Amino acid sequence: MKHASNFVLEARDVAIHYGGIKALDGVDLTLARGQIRGLIGPNGAGKSTVIDAITGRRPLTRGSVRLMDEDVSHLGAVDRRRRGLSRSFQRTSIFGGMTVRKQVELASHKMGVRDSVADAEAVLEELDLARLGNAIAEDLGYGEQRRLDLALALVGRPQVLMLDEPMAGLSVQESHDLAGHLQALTSRWNVSVLLVEHDMDVVFGISHAITVFELGRVIASGDPTEVRANPRVREAYLGSAA
Amino acid sequence: MSLTRMGATALVTLLAGVAIAATVSSGSILGRLTQAVIYAIFALGVGVLLKQNGLVSFGHALFFGAAGYGMGVVLSLGWMPAEWALLAVLAAIGVLAFGIGLVIVRVPGIAFGMLTLAIGQMAYLLASRARGITGGADGMSVPWPDTLFGLPQSLLLKPATLFLIAWVLLVLVTVALLLILRTRFGAITEAVRDNEERARFIGIQTTVPRAAVYALSAVVTGIAGLLSSFNAGFISPENLHWSVSAITLLMVVVGGFKKPIGPIVGAVVYFLFKDLLGEHATHSMALFGAALIAVILFSPDGLVGLMERAARRLTQRLTQRTSRPSRTPTRPDSAGAALASPTAPEQRT
Repeated sequence: MKHASNFVLEARDVAIHYGGIKALDGVDLTLARGQIRGLIGPNGAGKSTVIDAITGRRPLTRGSVRLMDEDVSHLGAVDRRRRGLSRSFQRTSIFGGMTVRKQVELASHKMGVRDSVADAEAVLEELDLARLGNAIAEDLGYGEQRRLDLALALVGRPQVLMLDEPMAGLSVQESHDLAGHLQALTSRWNVSVLLVEHDMDVVFGISHAITVFELGRVIASGDPTEVRANPRVREAYLGSAA
Repeated sequence: MSLTRMGATALVTLLAGVAIAATVSSGSILGRLTQAVIYAIFALGVGVLLKQNGLVSFGHALFFGAAGYGMGVVLSLGWMPAEWALLAVLAAIGVLAFGIGLVIVRVPGIAFGMLTLAIGQMAYLLASRARGITGGADGMSVPWPDTLFGLPQSLLLKPATLFLIAWVLLVLVTVALLLILRTRFGAITEAVRDNEERARFIGIQTTVPRAAVYALSAVVTGIAGLLSSFNAGFISPENLHWSVSAITLLMVVVGGFKKPIGPIVGAVVYFLFKDLLGEHATHSMALFGAALIAVILFSPDGLVGLMERAARRLTQRLTQRTSRPSRTPTRPDSAGAALASPTAPEQRT
């Protein structure tokens, strides 16, 4: 009998090994609908690798990934994206020579959205980029480019959005604005977000749940208050003063 | 550029060609102009590859020469009428280039350039050695029929007619490229050029569009090759030599590759250079090389980029001049009079 899961995304016992090096080892992660889950941990802990594993950018050594109760472990990155598993990259990844509107509309079309023009417009409106629609992407400010990166990940209304350090390099105000956009997305678009971020104020401020990584393993998981109070987390990552 | 503006520009350009053909009486000048236009089409082909794929080809002479050889062989063997042979040769070039493209466009940067060079030189050696088919190093004459599309060859080969044919083809090819690049295909190739990994993540298959651009650029180059072989009535391995590719690439870089007009400007400048040098034309490559260095250093987007910047600056200056407040005082004590004063800070430029 098929078991209906409450989660939009379920990663079970996910492992990625490179020879003897265990980049990820037995990671369990879940995302409920509309939930923001922050992933934190020191550099090299495996946060970005877990996004690569879930999106199909890196093959799994072991484990499974289920999206909306469908096992997508065997699918390639593009098929997972079409099923609603979207991501942004650590470094801004846009099409520099194209206009903002053209590239968002193209991404929407390639995702199979029937009315890609309307979909692109909705995404641009949501991220306050519509007024920059005709601007060439490489002429935008850094914060605007990060939002465009997010827009490319948002076309076709994905179920799950995985963001790899979206606030990196942003000013305090820009980070605050982007955090606001993410919260609005989860409530208005019902998107679930997996957020890898080093800005602890943002992570603890907007996440419903937090998972802490160390050396490719999960060392703690729970709501922000629980995680903040976890002695192992304080010792390993947040520091005793946190 | 809107479709209406594009159509109007194309029409005006066509009329300009008619005017040139009607007013220039010197056959040698028209001959040189025809050659410049043929190379402008060739440069358009190389330019579209650079613009859409971001790839530099050192071997596009392959398609320039192959068009002439293809026509020569097909007409010599009498396989089909010349009108059909024109289409068949272009189609064959497109298919051949697409096949080659599927393999080589995966290789980035300078390695791609080296592969195109190697393939081009292979074709050059093949044409030089296959004496039975190509005439070897001596080349072969292309047996064009007495009438083409119902028109006598004697009329088509008149300098003014030939110039006009080349000019019309240049305009048609440019418009066709502009229209193709406005489609979704153009957007996809731009996306792949700008960020291949991201393109893959939005579901774009990245090899086929780049191979298609390579094929498109080859077909455009093939059109130039067909015109050249009609103009000369002869084809030799020299048309396949890497130096032909290199000269065309120089035209593209000097003119600028970001807009289709760039390679055309580059070709015109190159032939003007050669003409102005007169008897010193043997040194033209050295001087064109110096021009290339100057362009790369001071205007990486070519002469067209330079002209655009100059035009923008001029427009800005004119706008500033016309938007300045009047110097005629209205009332001595008014704010307007104060602003119009020669000592007002806004007036000091």
